[in-house]
Amino acid sequence: MSYLITQLTREWGFLLRQKYLVVLLLCSFVLSGFAIYSGLSEVSAQQQTIERLKAADQSDRAKVQQKPDDPGMLAYYSFHLTYSQPSNLAFAALGERDIFPWKHRINLLAIEGQIYESDAQNAELAQAGKIDFVFVISALAPLVIILLFHDLYANERTSGRHDLLVTTAKSYFALWGARITVRFLAVIVCLMLPLFIGAFIAGASAFEIAYVSLLCIAYLAFWTALSVWWGKNATSAPRVASGLIGLWVLFAFIIPILGDLAISKSVHSPKGGDIMLTQREAVNDAWDLPKSATMQPFIKEYPALAPYIAMSSEFEWKWYYAFQQMGDLKAAPLSKAYRDAAAEKYDLAGVVSWFSPPFLLQRSLTRAAQTDSVAAYAYEQQIRDYHQQLREFYYPWLFYKGNPPKSVLNNMPRFEAIAK
Amino acid sequence: MSKNNFSKVVIVAKDEWRYWLRSKLAMTVLAIGLLLTLSSVVVTAITMHELSHTRNELQSNAEQSFAEQPDRHPHRMVHYGHYAFRTPTPLSTLDPGIDAYTGNSIFLEGHRQNSAMFAEQRQGTALTKLGSLTPAFIIQTLAPLLLILIGYSSISRERESQTLSYLLAQGTKGSTLIAGKGLALLCVVGLIIAPLAVSALFTLSACESLLAVVSFIVGYALYLSVWVLVVLLASSVFSKNSGSFTALAFVWILLCIVMPRVASTSASTAVPSAGKIETDFAVKAELRKLGDGHNTNDPAFKQFKQSLLEKYNVNSIDELPVNFRGLVASESEAKQTKVLNQFAEQRMQSELKQTQVSRYFGWVSPMVAIRTLSMIVVGTSIETHHRFLRETEQLRFDFVQGLNKVHIEVLDYQDDMNRNANTEATKKARVSAENWQVLQDFNFNVDSADVRAKRSVPAFLQLLLWIVVLVGGIKLVGKRLI
Repeated sequence: MSYLITQLTREWGFLLRQKYLVVLLLCSFVLSGFAIYSGLSEVSAQQQTIERLKAADQSDRAKVQQKPDDPGMLAYYSFHLTYSQPSNLAFAALGERDIFPWKHRINLLAIEGQIYESDAQNAELAQAGKIDFVFVISALAPLVIILLFHDLYANERTSGRHDLLVTTAKSYFALWGARITVRFLAVIVCLMLPLFIGAFIAGASAFEIAYVSLLCIAYLAFWTALSVWWGKNATSAPRVASGLIGLWVLFAFIIPILGDLAISKSVHSPKGGDIMLTQREAVNDAWDLPKSATMQPFIKEYPALAPYIAMSSEFEWKWYYAFQQMGDLKAAPLSKAYRDAAAEKYDLAGVVSWFSPPFLLQRSLTRAAQTDSVAAYAYEQQIRDYHQQLREFYYPWLFYKGNPPKSVLNNMPRFEAIAK
Repeated sequence: MSKNNFSKVVIVAKDEWRYWLRSKLAMTVLAIGLLLTLSSVVVTAITMHELSHTRNELQSNAEQSFAEQPDRHPHRMVHYGHYAFRTPTPLSTLDPGIDAYTGNSIFLEGHRQNSAMFAEQRQGTALTKLGSLTPAFIIQTLAPLLLILIGYSSISRERESQTLSYLLAQGTKGSTLIAGKGLALLCVVGLIIAPLAVSALFTLSACESLLAVVSFIVGYALYLSVWVLVVLLASSVFSKNSGSFTALAFVWILLCIVMPRVASTSASTAVPSAGKIETDFAVKAELRKLGDGHNTNDPAFKQFKQSLLEKYNVNSIDELPVNFRGLVASESEAKQTKVLNQFAEQRMQSELKQTQVSRYFGWVSPMVAIRTLSMIVVGTSIETHHRFLRETEQLRFDFVQGLNKVHIEVLDYQDDMNRNANTEATKKARVSAENWQVLQDFNFNVDSADVRAKRSVPAFLQLLLWIVVLVGGIKLVGKRLI
């Protein structure tokens, strides 16, 4: 045991004496720290925004509800907030939340006309990408490891010490093993320590952190093994590093880019614009069609409302909302195909990710943090479900119950219930 | 530089090329570089042409279906609305910029300003999070790496194999040697940029201005020159190949991979911008004060009613020679739009401020500088998107007010008031479809080349500063070269 410690302390001393290694490790620590810090501040900004929106939404709706008594007017002017809370791990993997919306306000009009509205972030910043822990670990850490390990053997060879060292060393581990262990532990500490601090602040569960750490350490071990193996017989350190960086470019850029190209060529998706157009045409045509053309299919969906479809005027709100829903119904196959295509693309990207370790890690971590497109589409489904609940709340008042008393409005379905 | 000296520089450069031609590594790197640039140019050109074609088609379809609507109540057409599509600029085949990150279509209707919808990125695979096969990405991020791989040992190699002192002792000046190696690397830059330049020149035939094309090519040439200088500096300073390589790889990671993200993260932390939903609360509160333009009895229009009665010198709105409901709709649309525009302008300004912060990072990373320069010159930066939003807003306001004018002048007030009485009355409260010609054709054009060039000046200055500083550094080192 003490023998082991002697070896490790010796190598630790060597490490500290090599200035560029220390600078490299320090830089990775600072970067990882910055990534965690900015991730935490982004997540807390999102949470604060949601809290502010909840309050504003409440008072805004209260104001709207004061005036009209007519359920049609009420439904037209009342908007309802929906949101998707960042998970406890989101600070480490901001994922796609800068591209997909995580907040939305809807009213009772056709959902297909509203759901694609997005309250996105600054596009130019989104295009540059954000620095989060996932980026640091999946894209940068391999480079750090390459720089740390590529000259393990080559350095000793060029300095002419290699053979001497090998013949005098007690065992393989005493020499190379200890050196590799020390460098590997140093890089893990520098990269992961900020994560643990961040997890403590964000209140992530021990299980989640254990899972994430396991993935990250396995990933780092993969790159370390690759770098060590690649440089085993080399004499020129830059040559080893060139090869490894080339491999990194292949894994991080070339394979994902080619995969993306192949996937977007093979998966056919309806154009978003077509969904909107179909929905709009259906809704607008309904104005000129006989009322029964809207009401007959409508009562197939809601047989309980069948006795109340007679109209006494050329315009009634119940008919208005009925044809809104029929517009949704007409656009539904397209809309579903659109979402299915996205899901298929996600699955195919999963296949590609097996050939690209950085992307595989990114995918696993954003999945764990629920910040990927799957989570975004799940949130979209929540919005749809909530919209359906609102419909079911309003329809009885629109069709036969008359004007709702203000007290009933307090019992309207709430998004909180779905979000949980 | 004297003529004699220049010929020496050329000899050094030729010799460096001879070395590369014999080196497997250099040739592989060069081949990969050329292949990547070429394929990115071709692939992106095809994709952007397809996009441009589809969007143009969608645009004319939207215009056609608007004009083909049957006889209707004019206000129904206000809600039927219209679509506008952002067609990509000719140069965007080389740098699609934010095209995939913002929605490219917008639904225009009365009383509201919608946001752009259907960003391509949402249908993406997330595979291109780190980089995409666009010429911009390849040249901005990967080309510097190629230059490093080819050039890291240009001076340090001579030193390591002890030919440097020999060369210097024979009367070759340090600066001549460095200049020669630099010239050789610049030739590589020329090779990498060539496909880009050719493709850029082709856009001239698509009516892109020469100024934009030239600033685009010059911008990239300056950027890669910065990297040539960085490589030369590191190679001269470090005594060993491995030292030079490690330092360059480290600098590349920092400047090309880390800095752009640090810039955008810092910008969004430093200038938090409220989202649309959040500002919409204030907008809606403001709009509620203006009254509901669908409801002529809204108290907010009392004064307006009074002024109308006085203007036409009549006692009741029934006697007005024009349709009162149309007047109210038009009046309220104008007022609402004023409020909406005011808030929209605020949002755009805060977004610009944010972007500005991230652009300041161009002083510390040439990659950030060229990224900004490229997107601005090409017309795929945030400013272009704002222009799109402003132009579509004008289009929206014009056609809505055009329809309101039809409402005022063509539709009889009594017919309008009775429109819901029975089917016959509803039919009577319609105007002929000929009136749908109010819609103007929409063709989105990016800002003029002058404006774009002016905007890109800071980014050019950033790159030039890098060059000046690096040349100064190399001169200093060149004198003491041993």
